[in-house]
Amino acid sequence: MASVSRPERAPRPLAPCLTRYPPPPSPLTVGFLSMEEEETYLELYLNQCAAQDGLAPPRSPPFSPVVPYDMYILNATNPETAFNSNPEIKETSDGFSSVDLSFLPDELTQEDKDQPVMGSKHETEENSESQSRQSRLPSPSKQDIGLGLNSPSLSNPHSQRHPSDTDSVQASLEKPDSNSLPLASITPMTPVTSVSECCGIVPQLQNIVSTVNLACKLDLKKIALHAKNAEYNPKRFAAVIMRIREPRTTALIFSSGKMVCTGARSEEQSRLAARKYARVVQKLGFPARFLDFKIQNMVGSCDVKFPIRLEGLVLTHQQFSSYEPELFPGLIYRMVKPRIVLLIFVSGKVVLTGAKERSEICEAFENIYPILKGFKKA
Amino acid sequence: MVVFGTTFFNFDSFIGKTDSIEVIGKSVFSYYYHNILPLLNDSDRYSLGDARRPLHETAVLVEDVVHTQLINLLQQAAEVSQLRGARVITPEDLLFLMRKDKKKLRRLLKYMFIRDYKSKIVKGIDEDDLLEDKLSGSNNVNKRQKIAHDFLNSIDQTGELLAMFEDDEIDEVKQERMERAERQTRSMDSAQYAEFCESRQLSFSKKASKFRDWLDCSSMEIKPNVVAMEILAYLAYETVAQLVDLALLVRQDMVTKAGDPFSHAISATFIQYHNSAESTAACGVEAHSNAIQPCHIREAIRRYSHKIGPLSPFTNAYRRNGMAFLAC
Repeated sequence: MASVSRPERAPRPLAPCLTRYPPPPSPLTVGFLSMEEEETYLELYLNQCAAQDGLAPPRSPPFSPVVPYDMYILNATNPETAFNSNPEIKETSDGFSSVDLSFLPDELTQEDKDQPVMGSKHETEENSESQSRQSRLPSPSKQDIGLGLNSPSLSNPHSQRHPSDTDSVQASLEKPDSNSLPLASITPMTPVTSVSECCGIVPQLQNIVSTVNLACKLDLKKIALHAKNAEYNPKRFAAVIMRIREPRTTALIFSSGKMVCTGARSEEQSRLAARKYARVVQKLGFPARFLDFKIQNMVGSCDVKFPIRLEGLVLTHQQFSSYEPELFPGLIYRMVKPRIVLLIFVSGKVVLTGAKERSEICEAFENIYPILKGFKKA
Repeated sequence: MVVFGTTFFNFDSFIGKTDSIEVIGKSVFSYYYHNILPLLNDSDRYSLGDARRPLHETAVLVEDVVHTQLINLLQQAAEVSQLRGARVITPEDLLFLMRKDKKKLRRLLKYMFIRDYKSKIVKGIDEDDLLEDKLSGSNNVNKRQKIAHDFLNSIDQTGELLAMFEDDEIDEVKQERMERAERQTRSMDSAQYAEFCESRQLSFSKKASKFRDWLDCSSMEIKPNVVAMEILAYLAYETVAQLVDLALLVRQDMVTKAGDPFSHAISATFIQYHNSAESTAACGVEAHSNAIQPCHIREAIRRYSHKIGPLSPFTNAYRRNGMAFLAC
């Protein structure tokens, strides 16, 4: 855990941090979170604002960026969270505007400082409005999420996000009275062409398999005896199988201290679930830590909404696909870049597996969509 | 019952006839499928290339052929495993029987690998499957591949069997079947295509218990194990596929083409099995049905097992039963 590196991040006064270890990763406890998670929680907050302002974006079911919002709801019901929802929102809104300010260019900061509380509130509203406007075009939000989650070098995560916000803020400041932001000011960060081909279909994550090292030897018998929802049958398998209801996941806990967590529907949920299991183990008296959390596999699915002629696809993409209908009703397509396996069915449903990151799934789907359109069964 | 298959559509267009797609009707074969032909349904043959409503006689004949061949194969496999002193028929025995025909053996190996790969992928998708697999021990990964590789390693004298694992040559027969299927499906509408796909998904491995009973495994002393049953189901499917392939070739041969220099010789190679009154109606150019006729099937088998040609004494070592195996 990066708790040691926390001090230098103090200048970002996002909400008070809980100093308990391990902390429940609610949106407020930013102190122990990594950069990507803070990105997600900012996104979370923006979605929250959008919903609050009643400008709810039209959420199509496969639109997975909603997930952080769901997770937020989970945390709201989590009894361990000290705050209830409303104070959380207000605090984050104040925190957000102050964070936002710190990354804006100087001129803007000056102007904003001239209009103290009103200005920040207005700006927040404008931001949320622009965000909701962005959300209406599924592409920019998706790309923002993509950016937020995929920035490997975390050097300028906010600079990536904020230019879009900055533009909209600038536009809003220029015309403070008009609520209609020109669409040109909302600049998507990646070219629009790739998205228009996909018609806005985004694969939805179905399952995430992750591993984490608790870094201490465990007595499986003790865990099985004292923990609820734990199964242990040493004759069958040398691990404890534990399940929790929220997020609905299953964990395999080995005596070496390694743990596998399956069943989560998003990266954050998987991490949250893994932390919960770690906490259970910790409460039983073991010095459990949370090392090397890694997502091993992500499974996504989506529907292109037209029937696909698999015979044609297997013939033209022979070196990548295998189709044995008497064995399995779907065509198995092994994409090389990114290295993803796709199961393509006649009905138009596509399952993508083998990804380590969400971007790989989206990229794979974007690659396959034009190919599938070519074999559309009229 | 599902029908799929449309090779015949294909072939007719190949020889210049425009084809009218048969109306999907309640087929008499569904009755037969459920009662008389428990396993060999016309769907299989449709999917492999026959007409949408294959003839009943053809269906019965094909079922008979496949049944006989599989029983013989099973008996030979039982003998082989008895030689080894084993108690069950294992996939190794079947691989041993197939060692002579490299192409068919390669096709079988590819099938086994795809089966392994598919279970690996599907396991990763569903968390319950993942747990089950972990619980049953992690030696299941690529088990068929391991079995095949270890066995071929042990019997390989010249290295050519093991070379098949790395061999990436295109399987021509498979390629032709794929192309045939593609041509057929191009002209279908989505309802027909859905039906086609459904029928392609049928296999002998779906109703394993019925398959076992059909082969009368319970009366045998040495029974095949699970993987061996999978291979047998695959071989049954392959037999049907081969029969349909060959029958289509025969049918194509029978039609006299304009300008064909050997058209006068066709009747010499085609032995009429029916009496002359039936022959023209049954085997000539059909007016109402484009299905494969029993005579095509018989001719195909005859040609396949006929001792003609310079190499006939050296091909197909399983001749003593009087029937050459189509699948291996």
